Amino acid sequence: MAYPWRDERETRVLSEHFGDPAARTLEGWKARGGYKALVRALELGPERIVEDVKASGLRGRGGAGFPTGVKWSFMPKDDRRKPHYLLINADESEPGAFKDRELCRWTPHQLIEGALIGAFAMRASHVYIYMRGEFFEPAQIVARAIEEVYAAGLAGADVMGSGQAIDVTLHLGAGAYICGEETALMNSLEGRRGQPRIKPPFPAAAGVFGQPTTINNVETLCAVPHIINRGAEWYRSMGTDKSPGTKLFNMSGHLVRRGNFEFPLGFNLKELIYDVCGGIRDGRSLKAVIPGGSSVPILAADEIDIALDYESVAKAGSMLGTASVIVMDDQTNMVKQVRRIVEFYAHESCGQCTPCREGTAWMVRILRRIEAGRAARSDIDTLISLGKNMIGTTICVLSDSAAAPVHSSIAKFPAEYDALLRQDEPVMATA
Amino acid sequence: MNEKTPLAANPGWAGETGDFSQLTEEEVRGTTFVGRRPPDGGAPAGACSYPYQLARRSPDAPLFEGPYAERLDKIRSRYPDRRGALLPVLNLAQEVRGHVSAETMERVAEILDLPPAVVRGVASFYTMYNTRPVGRYLIQVCTNVACNLCGADDVAEAFLEHTGTGAGETSSDGMFTVIEAECLGACGFPTAVQINERYFENVSADDVPGILDRLRMEWSTREGSD
Repeated sequence: MAYPWRDERETRVLSEHFGDPAARTLEGWKARGGYKALVRALELGPERIVEDVKASGLRGRGGAGFPTGVKWSFMPKDDRRKPHYLLINADESEPGAFKDRELCRWTPHQLIEGALIGAFAMRASHVYIYMRGEFFEPAQIVARAIEEVYAAGLAGADVMGSGQAIDVTLHLGAGAYICGEETALMNSLEGRRGQPRIKPPFPAAAGVFGQPTTINNVETLCAVPHIINRGAEWYRSMGTDKSPGTKLFNMSGHLVRRGNFEFPLGFNLKELIYDVCGGIRDGRSLKAVIPGGSSVPILAADEIDIALDYESVAKAGSMLGTASVIVMDDQTNMVKQVRRIVEFYAHESCGQCTPCREGTAWMVRILRRIEAGRAARSDIDTLISLGKNMIGTTICVLSDSAAAPVHSSIAKFPAEYDALLRQDEPVMATA
Repeated sequence: MNEKTPLAANPGWAGETGDFSQLTEEEVRGTTFVGRRPPDGGAPAGACSYPYQLARRSPDAPLFEGPYAERLDKIRSRYPDRRGALLPVLNLAQEVRGHVSAETMERVAEILDLPPAVVRGVASFYTMYNTRPVGRYLIQVCTNVACNLCGADDVAEAFLEHTGTGAGETSSDGMFTVIEAECLGACGFPTAVQINERYFENVSADDVPGILDRLRMEWSTREGSD
C-alpha cells in the first residue's frame, strides 16, 4: 500500500507494508517474511554480502547516489582491534523529502534487518540510528522495535548464535539540517556542534569516535534485505542499468494526490505528476518542478518529460537527489519560494565557512529586497556572482545547494524577477 | 481535475486522505503499538531521550533523579566516551525542565565532566533546545517550500491570531508559543505543524481554532487528573 494513496502501476518493494500496523511488530514482520534475509546473510558471510550488494548496483538513497557495496568495501577487513561503526542517517530534513519518516514509522524492522545485515557485513559492533529530533512517533516505533530484536536475540552480544556482537542504539538529534551531512552527523553523534569535517580522512578510515565508520541512509538499508532474499539479478531487473532498483518518490506541492510512490528508477517524471498524482490541483497548469529536494536546480514545465534516474536528471541540468519532487503551479510566486528556500539554508548554515555563512545571509537580504520591489538590475548580477562564489568553495555542499535554486530560477524565470525590479538604476555612492 | 480539491476535514494525523481512511489515528501514529514510554526509558538501546518540552514539566524540577538517574546511566552506557552522551543528556534535561537554562547547562557539564563552554556551545547550535521558557504547547508551523506552496503562511498567521501572540512570544495564559519551523519532513501532508512532540498534518488555516480547543481541553483534563 502506498502512502497514503495507492497506484496499481507501482512496484512496491520497500513500501509494501505501509499502512499495515501489524507489520510493525517483530511477530508481524516475521509473518511477512522478515528476518529471513538476516539468517541467510549470516550463512553467506561478510564478503559474500558485500559482493551481492555490489552486484545489485544499489546506490545510496540519501542524495549522492554512491554505490553502497563499494562504500561497504572501503571498511577495513582484518583490523579487529578497532571497533567499527555503522551509522544510519535518519536525519531526514531536506525540504521535500518525507520517505525515511514513513519507512521508520511503518516498517521499523525492515530498517533494523538491513542495519544488522550491513553491520555484519562490515563487522561493525555498534549501529547508531541518528534520527532527527522532531521525529517523535518514528523514534518511539523504532525504539520499540529495537527492544524487540534485543529480546529475541537478533541483536546484542551474540546475534543469532553467530558469535558476532551487534549493538543498536537510537540517537536523536536536536534540530539541525546540516547533521544530515555525513561528517556533521558524526560530529553531532560525538556530542559536538554539527559542523562538517574536511575529508580526508574518510569515514571508513577515521569516522565517528575516530574509528572506521560507514554512514548509510534509511532507504538504502531498507533495500538490503530484499537484495539478500531475492538476489542481485532480481534487483538489477528493475530500474536502469546505472540506476537499478526501486525508489520512493516523495511527491509534494500543488498535486491532486501527494505522498510516497514507489517506482523503478527511470520512471517518467511527467507520467508521475500527471497520471499517478492526478496532475495539478484546482485545474491549474504547471509552472516548475524541483525534482530532488530543495537543494537541486529547478526545472521549468517544459523540461519534465525525463526519466527519473541519476543520469537522466543530471543530463536535464538538475539532480535526482532524494527524489523529492516539489511541484509548483502557475500561481506560484517563484521569487518568494526561492527566497524561502534560501532563508532555510541561511538558517541551517553551520557557520564554519565564510562563503556559506555570509553568502546565504546576503542572498536572503537581496531576495527580500527584490520581493519588496526595492531592488535594481545590478542586484540580480550580485546574486549570480554571490552564487558563483558559493559553489565548490566550502567544506560541504550546503552552500552549493543554496545557490542552485537561485541560479536556476533566474535563468528559467527571468520575467518574474524583472517584474519586481526598479526601472531606475539607483545612484551608487562613490568614494 | 477542475473541481476544488477538498481540504482535510480532520487534522491531527495524516490518515484522513486516500486509502488510509480505514485506519484509526492510533494505528497511523503507532500509539496502540508503542504506548507511552516508561519514565526510565525502558531497555538501554531505546533509552533515548527526546528534545521536547512536554506540556507537564517544571523549570525547577531536580535533574537526573529517580527514574531519570536511571535513564542517565542507560544513556551513558551506549557511548564509548562521555561527550557522546551530551545530546541525549541535554534532551533529557529539556524533557524534565521544558527548556535548557544556563544553570541547566552547567549541571549537564558537571554530570558529564565537560567544560561548561563546550556544553553551551553545543546547546546553542541546535534549534530544538529552548534557551528560555516557552508555553506549555510549543507550536512549530513549517513554512518551508512544500508547505509554503500550500498556504503555510496563512496557517502560521492563524495560529498567531487565535493565540493572540506574536511570533516567538508566549500567550498571557502561558499556554502557547508559536514559531515558524524549518522543514519537518512531512511535505506530503501540508501544512505540517509540530506541537510539542506531536505532528498535526494537512492543517489549513480553518483548522486552527479546532486544534487550539483540542489542546486546551487536553490540558484541562490533564490538570484535573492529578
